[in-house]
Amino acid sequence: MLAAGERELQRIVLDMHDGPVQDIFAALSQLQLLERTLTGRPAARKQVRQIVKALERALSEIRSFIGAFRPPGFERRQLGPIIEGLMVQHEALTAQKIELSMCADVGDCALATKIAIYRILQEALANGFRHSGATHQRVAIARNGAPITLIVSDDGKGFDPAAVLAREADVGVEGGHFGLRGIQDRVEMLGGTFSIDSAPGRGSALTVTLPAE
Amino acid sequence: MTASRTIRVLLADDHAIVLQGLKALVDGERDMTVVGATTDGAKVVELVDQFSPDVVLLDLELSGIRGTDVIAGLRQRATSPKVLVLTAYNDGESIRAVLDAGADGLALKTESPQQTIAAIRQVCAGQLVFPQAARRWLEERRGSGGGGDLTAREREVWALIADGLPNHAIAKRLGLTANTVKFHVQHLFSKLGVRNRTEAAIRYARR
Repeated sequence: MLAAGERELQRIVLDMHDGPVQDIFAALSQLQLLERTLTGRPAARKQVRQIVKALERALSEIRSFIGAFRPPGFERRQLGPIIEGLMVQHEALTAQKIELSMCADVGDCALATKIAIYRILQEALANGFRHSGATHQRVAIARNGAPITLIVSDDGKGFDPAAVLAREADVGVEGGHFGLRGIQDRVEMLGGTFSIDSAPGRGSALTVTLPAE
Repeated sequence: MTASRTIRVLLADDHAIVLQGLKALVDGERDMTVVGATTDGAKVVELVDQFSPDVVLLDLELSGIRGTDVIAGLRQRATSPKVLVLTAYNDGESIRAVLDAGADGLALKTESPQQTIAAIRQVCAGQLVFPQAARRWLEERRGSGGGGDLTAREREVWALIADGLPNHAIAKRLGLTANTVKFHVQHLFSKLGVRNRTEAAIRYARR
């Protein structure tokens, strides 16, 4: 089921890439040229500038969407490179630093586990970026035998985990995010364990353990 | 007379509408000119031979041929232009693929075309233009490109691969068995992070 969802995402991202991205980029190129020819016509120039700004905002949203949803070649690539790629992607999109500590022999794991680790890590980092106020986050991936343990932590402002889980159950999570509850659901589906250590003013640490196969 | 001169740009993109827009924009800059443009990735090397551009602006998702293969083809030439990859994909895997292919920079179609213009100037001036976040990979590439952790024997094998010698000829030259050379080649490829002899030779030329 997870893999089917990822394939669907791949298709949507490809459609965005082949359609709107090319057209908007081309339109912006022409508009920026047009803007230069409008010297002596400040009103027209201002109008063009406004159109340029609107299209740049649209592109920026698409950039975030593609960055967040494009599946990173789960079937072709091993866990380690996929996680490294996600760290670079998060830093590039948010300018928030990540300290990654991952054992060298993390190897590979079942497809469902790999997808779950990637999406959980992505969601945890996005949460940490949006809510913690921390300048950087730490990610640790360890593998002692079969299970894989993932810890995402920060020294930010912290939160009350029970309250957040209860709120998500009531009102859901906005903007394509699946939240803490979504992380918990994914972990349970694969028979793993999930814990959050946080309180207001104390930073936070999410620990997830998943069976590798 | 100033030191500045016109930057000659070759455009290769699958999408005619993008080519048209970029051509107009590049030609509108005082210090650059479009010397050629194609939607056919297989023609890029030929056009480079014909027009000797300073910078090739290359879409990675070309039809018929992979953008990374085009870069490999360009890197085999005695004088290779700078290659700036233009792509909509800013995920970690894509950034890594562009770096590994040996491009000089990455510009995004999901950013303003003005940034692409700025990146053309930067790669032409010899800068590597990648997101700051990819710095650790860049450092890896610099490290492996110089072959910092290679043994003396691996360096010898590397130089002979770069000369185009097959394993049996390298074995003869170094007084080794073919199996031993194969062993060194495997280690060399692994340390350099390359997949084949062509990539190893390109890396040798750029070390």
